[in-house]
Amino acid sequence: MKYFKVSFFIIMTLCLLCSVTFAARIEISSPGEQTIPLAMTRLLPMGVGGVQSAIETEFQQVLLGDLELSGLFDMTDPASFLSDADKLGLRRTEIDFYQWRMLGAEALIKGGYSVASGKLTIELRLFDVITQRLLTGRRYVGKLTDVRKIAHTFADQILKSLTGEKGPFSTKIAYISKRTGRKELYMMDVDGYKPIRMTDHRSIVLNPDFSPTRKELIFTSYKKGNPDLYRKEIYTGRESRLSLKQGLNIGGRYSPDGREIALTLSKDKNSEIYLLGTDGTIHRRLTNHYAIDVDPSWNPKGNKIAFVSDRRGNPNIFIVDVHTLKVTRLTYEGKYNATPAWSPKGDRIAYSRMDNGVFNVFTIREDGTDERQLTFGKGSKEHPRWSPDGRFLIYSNDLNGGEKSIWIMRADGTGAKKISAAGGNDSHPAWSDRW
Amino acid sequence: MESSRKQRWQQLQSVFEPGFKQMLLVSILLHVLLPVLYYSPFFPKREIEKPPVYRVNLVNKIVKNPQAGRPEAAPVKKKPAIKPKPKPAVKPKPIPPKPKPVPKPKPVPKPKSVPKAEPIKKKPAVKPKPKIQAPSKKAKDTQADAIKAMQAKRDRQALIAGYKDELIELTEQPKSPITGAPVGMMDGKGDEAGVSAIAFIQEFIQQQWNFSKYQAVGNPEAEAKLFYNTDGTLLHYKFIKKSGNSAFDESLIRAIAKSRQLPQSLPESMEFHIFFNLKDMLDNP
Repeated sequence: MKYFKVSFFIIMTLCLLCSVTFAARIEISSPGEQTIPLAMTRLLPMGVGGVQSAIETEFQQVLLGDLELSGLFDMTDPASFLSDADKLGLRRTEIDFYQWRMLGAEALIKGGYSVASGKLTIELRLFDVITQRLLTGRRYVGKLTDVRKIAHTFADQILKSLTGEKGPFSTKIAYISKRTGRKELYMMDVDGYKPIRMTDHRSIVLNPDFSPTRKELIFTSYKKGNPDLYRKEIYTGRESRLSLKQGLNIGGRYSPDGREIALTLSKDKNSEIYLLGTDGTIHRRLTNHYAIDVDPSWNPKGNKIAFVSDRRGNPNIFIVDVHTLKVTRLTYEGKYNATPAWSPKGDRIAYSRMDNGVFNVFTIREDGTDERQLTFGKGSKEHPRWSPDGRFLIYSNDLNGGEKSIWIMRADGTGAKKISAAGGNDSHPAWSDRW
Repeated sequence: MESSRKQRWQQLQSVFEPGFKQMLLVSILLHVLLPVLYYSPFFPKREIEKPPVYRVNLVNKIVKNPQAGRPEAAPVKKKPAIKPKPKPAVKPKPIPPKPKPVPKPKPVPKPKSVPKAEPIKKKPAVKPKPKIQAPSKKAKDTQADAIKAMQAKRDRQALIAGYKDELIELTEQPKSPITGAPVGMMDGKGDEAGVSAIAFIQEFIQQQWNFSKYQAVGNPEAEAKLFYNTDGTLLHYKFIKKSGNSAFDESLIRAIAKSRQLPQSLPESMEFHIFFNLKDMLDNP
């Protein structure tokens, strides 16, 4: 009996082991498609105020432009939309997801608007078509002129929902333009809309940079004859001279915490990199070399600064440690490397290099490896600057050696497009932090 | 006339540089030498190698034991598949034994009947007996019938063998520039034409997975277990390990949801342990 029990137990265990199905191991190391199929219906009126086709068109155009620039999406052709596209239903239960799935969409944007006594209300939803879930939803209330702003803000929200990080579309870009015949400071939206002149110095304004903590800008101006560093509050328009040392006061860049400014001073007859306090006092001298040291750019941690120096003969990018003052060389290729810009994520440094008389934008890792050329073709592409999320780059481009304009592209060099209007001879762009 | 020719020749010679004739001769010799050298064994000719032809199984039928698709795997398959079949087909051919009985009766009666009919003695008497019988109508008829039957049998067997060969060719080796190239999967080791369930699932789920490189942060990794029944319906799934990157994990959930029903059935209920990462995508930016 005892043997019978033991053998029965062994047999049962073996049977159990046999019944466990074999798990095949599979590795999938890349997705089948590298874009998200997205369907976006037009804004539909929500009853009050009736149809305002101008609002619908403008909203659609701005949001579509932002989403296309992101490179994340493959937009479903609106011509293929079925009956659900004409229904306002913003609730999950009111949407026929099967229709959208048939069209191959994985994400769906639906929205409605109403206008009452000059007040615009826009309700927007982003749905996951496959799991039939609401990913994000927002209700914006503003003026009739706020349509673009609402579209940019929702585009940021969409990116946050799908990538975990907000987009940069509701930020601003400062740049230098010769629209009035003289180089003045301007500011515009990320898509180039609504350029506003910020200065009226009637001389030469250069190298703008946004404060990371306050709504203000610094720039260099020859207004008083000497290239001095100025600070300007964006909303009040108040302006003050921050650094007026004899000689150059150029290339000012705020530290990531906004407490210091790195800039080039030539008060001692040779241009060197210094650290200034926000009150204009010199905190520290970072470089000490007979060569020319210009164009500082902070890393996001605030402990290193990339700059341009010709201490090895030709202009090249170097990095100085703010604490130890140890200088290391970053670029070795090319004869003219200039205008470094450290990515806000800290992984790469963008700069422009001149080859055969033409500048192009390159990026490189901090350790000098993995150098990549991002722009090609005719025209000099200079002064690259990163978006606050590190997804995009802006730069100035003089197509065929003619008028300069501001261009935007993804950080991998794809999707380049002109954003500034013609006739401005625009250069020296700078991207604000999130507004 | 001759003097004028001589004059012309002299004029022509005066035009040439001294040593022209030698140079011309050397040039001709070199030109002649070139093809001689080219066709000599000093310049071995390389034969143009034909590129390998891979046969692709366009019908992704899911089978348990897919056969190999590599040309180099061909001998492994061919030996068990082709050798046993053609051999039995060749054996029935023993056409030689059949022609033997046919020639025997024909030459024997004719030469032997004529000379041996006169002596009547000894052993040859046994042989002429059949010869004497042969002329009998019944014997002739029976022999002719037997020969006809044997010929018919032989023809049938040859026909059947031919059909068998054709059948083998049609079923196992579709027309291809490489005769006998195997059909199946690169790493297949079985004997069924089709793809393995693992390869099919891998490709199918990958096709359903949409994820942009602009969403990627680092190299996220996740593991999931999927359980399918024989109808190709997803019974349930569970994540063994999530990446922690919500965008990545959400994209996987979407891919799994899209793979709820496979377009083909499976040979058996199966469990798949899938590792998701972005290695290939990040290696090829």
